[in-house]
Amino acid sequence: MSEQAAHVVEALYGGEPQSQADGAYIIQTRDLTKRYQLGRNNFVDALRGATLDIRRGEMAAIMGPSGSGKSTFMHIAGCLDVADGGEVWLNGRRVDGLSARELVGIRRKEIGFIFQGFNLIPTLTAEENVALAGEYAGMGRGVALNRARELLEMVGLGDRTRHVPSELSGGQQQRVAIARALVNDPGIVMGDEPTGDLDTTTSEEIVGMMRTVNRERGTTFLIVTHNPEVASACDRTVRMRDGVVVDDGDGTPPGP
Amino acid sequence: MRLIRNIFRRKLRAFLTIFGISIGVFALLVMGALAEKLTLLVDGGMRYYEGKVVVTAPTQFAGLVSTPLKASLLREIEHVEGVARVSASVSALLDKEIPAVSMGNIPTIQAEDGRAKGYEKFVFGYTAGRELRNTDVGKVALGADLVKRLNGAVGGHVEIRGKRYEVVGIADKTLTAPDNAVMMTMEDARRIVHEDLPDAVRDSVDPNSIVSSFAVYLEEGERPEVVARRIERQVDNVEAMTPLDFERQVKQPLAIFTSIIYAVALVSLLVGGLSVVNTMTMSVAERTREIGVRKAIGASNAQIMGQFIAESAVIGLIGGLAGLVMGLLVTVAGNAAGEATGNALFLVTNRLVVGAVTFAVALGTLSGLYPAWHAASLNPVEALRYE
Ligand SMILES: Nc1ncnc2c1ncn2[C@@H]1O[C@H](COP(=O)(O)OP(=O)(O)OP(=O)(O)O)[C@@H](O)[C@H]1O
Ligand SMILES: [Mg+2]
Repeated sequence: MSEQAAHVVEALYGGEPQSQADGAYIIQTRDLTKRYQLGRNNFVDALRGATLDIRRGEMAAIMGPSGSGKSTFMHIAGCLDVADGGEVWLNGRRVDGLSARELVGIRRKEIGFIFQGFNLIPTLTAEENVALAGEYAGMGRGVALNRARELLEMVGLGDRTRHVPSELSGGQQQRVAIARALVNDPGIVMGDEPTGDLDTTTSEEIVGMMRTVNRERGTTFLIVTHNPEVASACDRTVRMRDGVVVDDGDGTPPGP
Repeated sequence: MRLIRNIFRRKLRAFLTIFGISIGVFALLVMGALAEKLTLLVDGGMRYYEGKVVVTAPTQFAGLVSTPLKASLLREIEHVEGVARVSASVSALLDKEIPAVSMGNIPTIQAEDGRAKGYEKFVFGYTAGRELRNTDVGKVALGADLVKRLNGAVGGHVEIRGKRYEVVGIADKTLTAPDNAVMMTMEDARRIVHEDLPDAVRDSVDPNSIVSSFAVYLEEGERPEVVARRIERQVDNVEAMTPLDFERQVKQPLAIFTSIIYAVALVSLLVGGLSVVNTMTMSVAERTREIGVRKAIGASNAQIMGQFIAESAVIGLIGGLAGLVMGLLVTVAGNAAGEATGNALFLVTNRLVVGAVTFAVALGTLSGLYPAWHAASLNPVEALRYE
């Protein structure tokens, strides 16, 4: 990151994030960098100093051209990957630099994921898919399955609990994925193009469902999308370009 | 069960892999049952030879043809230093023709002079009827495995070499040679041996002095090898076989044979194991994205590893059980067919069954180790990007 950019960050955020006494932010990132080495002298800087704050309880969209680093950002903010440089704060606790084992623990308890397309385990039924995340987190099988059924009921799939993914429509599969993301009651759910494979109507339905969960349970949502309509249903739209956040959607211009 | 569903995701591949393992277990079981049977026979032989010396005519042509000894040798042998008692016996093949291929015991006719009583340690009881006595001319006692073949019952009659004999007893199963023997008097047995002799020598042999072998019982503290050498030195034209000779001639070759049998079976099982490695590696590759999803939703490396190891262990278990069933079918059928001729080829022991299945499971587990480790070590983000 350039020296100039560092000054910008300094001006905007006053250096390191303060420990949030009121817990206003669920995730804060500072200056995230990530370089993929492709060959000896051949590399891609997927992130070049991405800085973003996500407020607890909000629903934020991330948009940006293909290759701008949205997925990379989401993976690092979601403790699925580690950055080369920069900081990640989760619930006011610094989590970059934690061991892989500790990151698994954080993912289980605090973060839910929804992906585009292939998302569910094809050999497991809807309820087993949802329960699986609970079981990985240490829930007993019976408890996890009960919770899975409740959540499937909530997303409107109470009558599809024993179906395997191939017997469900794309929209239904994404609803199962939403239920699965919620099974451990995480503070934040991250979706990487969760409506990418869906038609407009179904896409609206899924976003509507996330909105409902967001309002009723207070779960924070961070959604990477190429669809402006999905973005407009969110509280704000973050824009990324070339590995940096160029607009955090709060009306504060990020640079001079 | 979720594991089974994962394994049978690719039905044909799962079936072929399991089949590969089951062929190996099948081979291990069938070959092992053969080895167990042979070992048992030889162990029986070891028990028979224990503590005594057996004197026969010098062996000719693989021991199949030997000219009879003379009864008068008994006194000569008994005079050898260290000998406590000598008992003569006469033996012949039950059927005049020797079967071309034979495993296990060939049915025989056995007779002894009764002088071994009190010296012989290899004794057995009777399931029905009684032991044969020296005066029981025209009567026989049957070994356990011959009852069915000769269709004999105590009090009934059986036909041997064209002559009818009354059955006075049926011996307990000993799992070795006596099971395939018809016990008759020296007189009856000598007549059969005499008839079997080649025309050229028959007239020069006195039927009443025919002896096939002498069992030599030793005085307290004497070593069989020492006494055997003494006998061979002092008595002309005889061969004295000791437990050690028996071990050298039979037990060691058997040990080698057994190892070869097991090696062949294990190699085929290992090939099955390699196919498990192959299948699991392919399965991990195909499920790369799934592994990424699993990790994203909270699976630890250990949980991923455990899942794949469990899958390949179950492949081993299913293959092991399938091979076991196939092996049992073949050995049981083989024994049933062999029973008719008094030859049960196979012996399926508990240790063989447990060993074969355990080995299959262990092999499955072992084969899953590397693919499972590979799956566990996948970077979740890379795995999610995988197409
Ligand atoms: N594992 C990797 N190895 C090499 N290059 C990578 C890897 N992951 C990402 N990249 C590169 O990093 C850059 C950012 O990738 P990223 O997936 O974050 O973009 P994105 O904004 O999510 O794009 P899209 O909208 O197409 O999903 C791209 O140029 C991509 O090719
Ligand atoms: Mg992306």
